[in-house]
Amino acid sequence: MSRLRFFVFIFRAAAVVVTLTCLAASQCPNRPVPGTVLYDAPSIYSQNGTLNAAFTMGHSVESFGYTHYCYKYTTSTGTVEAPTLRLNPGDTLLLNITDDITNGPPQSKTAMDMSMPSGPTCGDGGTPTINSTNVHFHGLNVSPNCGSDDVLTTLIQPGSPGFQYTIKIPADEPPGLYWYHPHVHGFTEFQVNGGAAGALIVEGMQNVRPEVTGLTERVITIRQQFLVPWVPGPYQLTVNFENAAVAEGPAPTILMKPGEKQFWRVLNASLQDFIPIQVQYGGVPQELELIALDGYPLAQTRNQTTILIPPAGRAEFIVEAPPQEGTAFLVTETYSTGPTGNPDTGQPLATIKLSNVTSDAKLSKVSPTPVKAATNEAHPPIATKTTTAKIDAKPPAPANALPLKFSDLKNATPTTQRKLYFSEEFGGTNGPIQFYITVDGQKQQVFNANEKPAITTKVGAVEDWTIENRALETHDFHIHQIHFLMLEQNGQPVANQDLRDTIEIPYWSGSGPYPSVKVRMDFRDPTIAGIFVFHCHILLHEDLGMMHKIQVLPQ
Amino acid sequence: MQMSIMRRGSQWALFVCLLTSFAAAATPQYVLTNDDASVFSIDSVTFYTIGTGGTLELYKQVSTGGAGIAGGFFGANRLAMLNNGGTQCVYASLAFTGGIVGIDVSTLEVVGTTYGSATDNGSSNGIGLAINNQYLYASYTGSNTIATFQVQPECGLSFVSDVTVIGLQGGFVDGMAISGNTMVATFGDGSIQSFNISSGTPVSNGDMQNSTGAIASGYASYPTSVEMTQDGHYAIFGDTSTSTLVEVSDISSGKLKKTVSYSLGNGINSSNILLSPDETLLYVVNTQGDTLSAAFFNATTGKLTPGCISGSLKGYVSDWSYLGGLSLQTNTGTGNVVYVAEFGTASGIAMINVTSANGQCTLLETAGSPASDPYSTGLLSIGTFPPRTF
Repeated sequence: MSRLRFFVFIFRAAAVVVTLTCLAASQCPNRPVPGTVLYDAPSIYSQNGTLNAAFTMGHSVESFGYTHYCYKYTTSTGTVEAPTLRLNPGDTLLLNITDDITNGPPQSKTAMDMSMPSGPTCGDGGTPTINSTNVHFHGLNVSPNCGSDDVLTTLIQPGSPGFQYTIKIPADEPPGLYWYHPHVHGFTEFQVNGGAAGALIVEGMQNVRPEVTGLTERVITIRQQFLVPWVPGPYQLTVNFENAAVAEGPAPTILMKPGEKQFWRVLNASLQDFIPIQVQYGGVPQELELIALDGYPLAQTRNQTTILIPPAGRAEFIVEAPPQEGTAFLVTETYSTGPTGNPDTGQPLATIKLSNVTSDAKLSKVSPTPVKAATNEAHPPIATKTTTAKIDAKPPAPANALPLKFSDLKNATPTTQRKLYFSEEFGGTNGPIQFYITVDGQKQQVFNANEKPAITTKVGAVEDWTIENRALETHDFHIHQIHFLMLEQNGQPVANQDLRDTIEIPYWSGSGPYPSVKVRMDFRDPTIAGIFVFHCHILLHEDLGMMHKIQVLPQ
Repeated sequence: MQMSIMRRGSQWALFVCLLTSFAAAATPQYVLTNDDASVFSIDSVTFYTIGTGGTLELYKQVSTGGAGIAGGFFGANRLAMLNNGGTQCVYASLAFTGGIVGIDVSTLEVVGTTYGSATDNGSSNGIGLAINNQYLYASYTGSNTIATFQVQPECGLSFVSDVTVIGLQGGFVDGMAISGNTMVATFGDGSIQSFNISSGTPVSNGDMQNSTGAIASGYASYPTSVEMTQDGHYAIFGDTSTSTLVEVSDISSGKLKKTVSYSLGNGINSSNILLSPDETLLYVVNTQGDTLSAAFFNATTGKLTPGCISGSLKGYVSDWSYLGGLSLQTNTGTGNVVYVAEFGTASGIAMINVTSANGQCTLLETAGSPASDPYSTGLLSIGTFPPRTF
């Protein structure tokens, strides 16, 4: 989206300042000081097949006016923010969410109808507001219904006792990096902009991709914060909540031993930043051994110097440290999102420093094996202040005997072909703006909570979807509950038929064929029967209605 | 005697010729821009002289003393020109500070600024203007009001009254056009409406309706800018759309009839349109893209047929991001050169040569295009003085 007028900015920025002054106390934990050693988020582990945890969604405004939203996890030893949830295939996540947001910013962003659908509700119900929350478990191939990964009817309101999610990780769930974030339609970007996002790891990557066995692991979450999230303009990228330097400023520091190989699991939890990630030594991009995309291990690893991670995407890869000290950076390159897209400018994300002292030896270690809780401990233990974890040569969980979910999708016969397309229009430079995702043949319309599903299919279906971009900016397709198989780009077979849950579709230049992808959707798992959504994962677009429902009917 | 008559005739012809020349010299010709500059810089109207081949040369920046918003609705034209006998005025709306500034064309000096009611507000998306010889109408996009101002001597205005207008889906007033005693407005939500302005203040003709294109697209397309034919027979609407869509309504009965939609291509958005002086071409701006289209218009039947399209206008993305309003070099024929506002941090005015003959047309950007508009950081509205006669 392009420019908005200045006075709107002033008005809304003033509103934020007013909000700031209204807030009596900071609820969110302090975030790391720029220029310090990069730490992984604390991890909490499932035990005996269950991870039982309670998060509180908090809110505060820091001294520069940036609004923070935070998943707080508290034990007897303290409170941490957005811990990494670690489970094994077949485990159950019991996650209680309490909404403690107070005095959220004014919600004057849009005149869209944000009402909940009529009919059954889940959780507290009521009207979605900027202070409401819920959780989407991004990438997990789990039920879309109430109590599980339901974003359509589940609302958690401030002051209520909270809501418990019961997420049953499938036994054949691919090991990899997933994530959790709020998904209240109309307000998602506010909370994600404030930092409300965390990693979720399904363990066992070494069972599928033995290349990572024994390697030091890092979980790197890149977030993006705008001063006012719906006003395009300058933004900050953070790496594990530590501000990334835009130019010469202090950058997060990653410690590695000379020549050491590490396994990096990078989550793009930004609102809209497309990240072509590189590791550069002396300005030269290094080969990265790509292990997994969007939480799905690649059929074969491959070396790339640049890995494009769209908003909400994940990339897991092996990095080899330089043999000797020099200029070394983790960077994002500039990415063009088209004439009406926001500029995604290149910048360093972290500096890489060599240390002969094992980086993780300076601090407490996270055991790769499930941590056993004390019998009187109400919560799973947390491992705090860790820089890294090591992947043991021994699998932390029993090796999965089942073939991975979707592993046979390539050879499945599609039962249906569909075409969808992204489009958008501006009634003026300041809006009104309409963001559409449309099933070809249907009317273009923005998402409405009471709409009928734009697509109805049934359990057992395998569908090939061609998704075009007819807009002048890049869009970021995401569907809940399933991964899809990449088949074609712009009508040509792709070189790598990866399984993804989020994929970028470059902007249309204004003439010629529309850019497109063709993907194979797998609706064979009866677990996913229900109603869920597909949308653009540029969160402003999603909030403004570039989303629709799909219903998978039980057989 | 015959000789005498001839001599006298020659003298008369010479007199007429001299008079015409004098009149021509007395009527300056300008292209002008509402620079719509925000409070961080000087808001102004910039006047350009028109040279050979339609080239533009910056002539004078006239400071308005108010402030704009550097953007807003595409369909709300923030300039109105009055060329009524000896009265030659330019009116420009000031979106942020809310007034209508009058500029005397003979001196290029601001005469004064007139404000509407206390509730009139166009600071969100601008203040559109439309004018006849007696009244100026201002559409306040924030307060959903149309203010009526009576034209006063020496480019003054006096506020008469407001009418509150709102679209069928709650839309905000956007584009306006006048022909005779009829004014037509759009509301940015699919709805359109006409008004009787014979008594000055707009009175609804009771014909508010959703356009055919809006209904067919599920309101993904909606009329934004509006033009009226010289005889007032047709209202033509440029739609905000994910494609290029124009709609035409027969209003000869005094009420808008159901619109007829014309799909004119794949270019994104067609929010700004302009009829050529001879009404044979309708210029359609690909607002979210980088091209100008022309469709053939039959003023008798109201039908549009595809015509021609320009190449990609220079500076797209690098200098500007949207195309805005239109104006013409001349008030005859096709207008010769079409000027198109280019909205960006380096705003400019694209110059496109028009040729049209035997059912064929071409639109070719000139070598010297675009002309820089250095005083605007977000140019949307552009005009020509003297204005087209309808």
